[in-house]
Amino acid sequence: MSETLITLERVCKLYQVGEENFTALNDVSLEVGKGAFMSFVGPSGSGKTTLLNLIGGLDRPTTGSVLFQGANLENMSRNQLAAYRRKNIGFIFQTYNLLPVYSVYENVLFPLILNGQKENDVRTRVEEMVGKVGLRDQINKKPAQLSGGQCQRVAIARALVKDPLLILADEPTANLDSENSRQILELMLELNREYKAAVIFSTHDEKVTRFVRREVRLEDGKVSWDKRSDGTEVES
Amino acid sequence: MNWDIANKNFYRQGLRAFLNVLVTALSIIALIFMLSLLNGFQAQATRNLVSTDVGGGHYRVPGFDILTPTEWEDFTMTVPEVLNGLTAKDKAEVLIQQGQLYPNRRLFPVQLRGIEMNQSLLHLPLAGLKSYDDKMGNMIPVVVGVKMARKAHLKKGDTVVLKWRDKGGAVDARDVLVVDVGDIVNPRIDNGVVWLRLDHLRSMTDRDKEVSWVAVREYLGPVNGFEFQGIDLLMSDLLALLRQDRINSKILWGILMVLVCTSVFNTQILNIFKRQKEIGTLMALGMEPGRIVRIFTLEGVLAALWALVLTVFLGVPFFIWFQGVGFDVSHLSEASFPIRETIYPDYQPREILVSVSIVLALIIAAAWVPVKKIIRLDPTLALRGRAIT
Repeated sequence: MSETLITLERVCKLYQVGEENFTALNDVSLEVGKGAFMSFVGPSGSGKTTLLNLIGGLDRPTTGSVLFQGANLENMSRNQLAAYRRKNIGFIFQTYNLLPVYSVYENVLFPLILNGQKENDVRTRVEEMVGKVGLRDQINKKPAQLSGGQCQRVAIARALVKDPLLILADEPTANLDSENSRQILELMLELNREYKAAVIFSTHDEKVTRFVRREVRLEDGKVSWDKRSDGTEVES
Repeated sequence: MNWDIANKNFYRQGLRAFLNVLVTALSIIALIFMLSLLNGFQAQATRNLVSTDVGGGHYRVPGFDILTPTEWEDFTMTVPEVLNGLTAKDKAEVLIQQGQLYPNRRLFPVQLRGIEMNQSLLHLPLAGLKSYDDKMGNMIPVVVGVKMARKAHLKKGDTVVLKWRDKGGAVDARDVLVVDVGDIVNPRIDNGVVWLRLDHLRSMTDRDKEVSWVAVREYLGPVNGFEFQGIDLLMSDLLALLRQDRINSKILWGILMVLVCTSVFNTQILNIFKRQKEIGTLMALGMEPGRIVRIFTLEGVLAALWALVLTVFLGVPFFIWFQGVGFDVSHLSEASFPIRETIYPDYQPREILVSVSIVLALIIAAAWVPVKKIIRLDPTLALRGRAIT
């Protein structure tokens, strides 16, 4: 296995729902290597998104640890977690979550500006990234003027532009038709090969599973099996 | 970048943002207008009181109280040398006595006010008395104000019986001739006041060279036997009234500001409610919560700044126009305000600056208070639009 990027050690996540506790994740342990292209699959409520949120530092586990290159996210403050996301993580959401007041160019530029870079220094990179996702002609349009597939391409460019180590894609094809889904997945696979950023999908879309090199199935907050394209399969 | 995001989001709010800006601008205009009109009112009322009665202050006979008519006769003194030597433009000698007028067989208690004819310190419509000399004839010439004339049913040319007491306590009575009905802007020297030449009143009451007070242009230091009452003391009732007016204006303005701040507050609440996903996205992209708060607060600041621009745009032409036409207060002639002409606002830059700064600070606070909760927002809930319900 390649160098470890993410390590989850006996992670549990409980939510308070009314007076009841709901177990979203139950004793999940796994490792994700650098450059991985994998998915968390499972039915609704199985804990896929919760797992992505914990890895992305958007949430904290109730018990257990999430380590990023050996650093425990638990020990980080809110601002440190923000910096962790800013530098290392690219997010792709089901509903694209583009900033509506910004153009395609500005949306892609945004993470770089957030990282303290000057627009003049990164203009070429942004334009190149927009070109990579096939939207060079739409670069000055606002998200409202784009189709769902185009929005998701912008989201991919935004996630990749800062050259992150990890991209977390939460149901990225759920709002797209099958042709657009296929194109998006092919694009992400291509970009994964080119940019070497690890990609983790959370999905229940069967089409996604055909593209990934590793598939972790979650059921009731537990890893039920962990299947890799090299044929290795671990059943819990 | 904060400014850029705030700017774009502010314009995205469209009509809502414009209405907030408009309401704020109108409130600032109303505030400046209210304060400036009050300043103008105060300045003109003060000017009228000073020019008709107060001057630069009174050297009064100690113990004299204008509100105690039964003691007026007990508090007169000879004009001291130091005041006597002042020129006619620097002092006005005044003698106050009580009397009774009998217009149409009715008894009308009046204040007899004698004033030097050659003085030019106070501006009073007493030209009708000047044509008479210091020797009284059969008829004593008097002037009354418009209000007094209306109340006592007097008009120019009327003769009426006046009764008074001289220094020795002897009661005397003579016919007086109303030589003029003067337009006196200050009601407290109109209602119930009968104006006479000072020499006539002194002669009638046998009080040669005596006065109740001497109005002077400015304070001359202590004068033996007299006490000085300054402008603030002599106008204390008016100043108290104006102070109360100012408080009332501030209450009104406070209500206005509560409405403006509520509007900004409400817009911000709506903003963060509607833009939870955007907030969640900004957090996911790695923006610190504190910075997001600053962006949302900046949107409020932008509203305040645009309100300022709109205030200048709408307010300045209005203020200039109003400075020309003024505010008609002729209805106040029936009230006890020493003012009757058109009031012109008195714009005081420092006051305007302070007031506008307070408005802006309040708006920025109203924009900040609802968004500071973003600091504690759970990003996972915000991304799902469920952080604020």
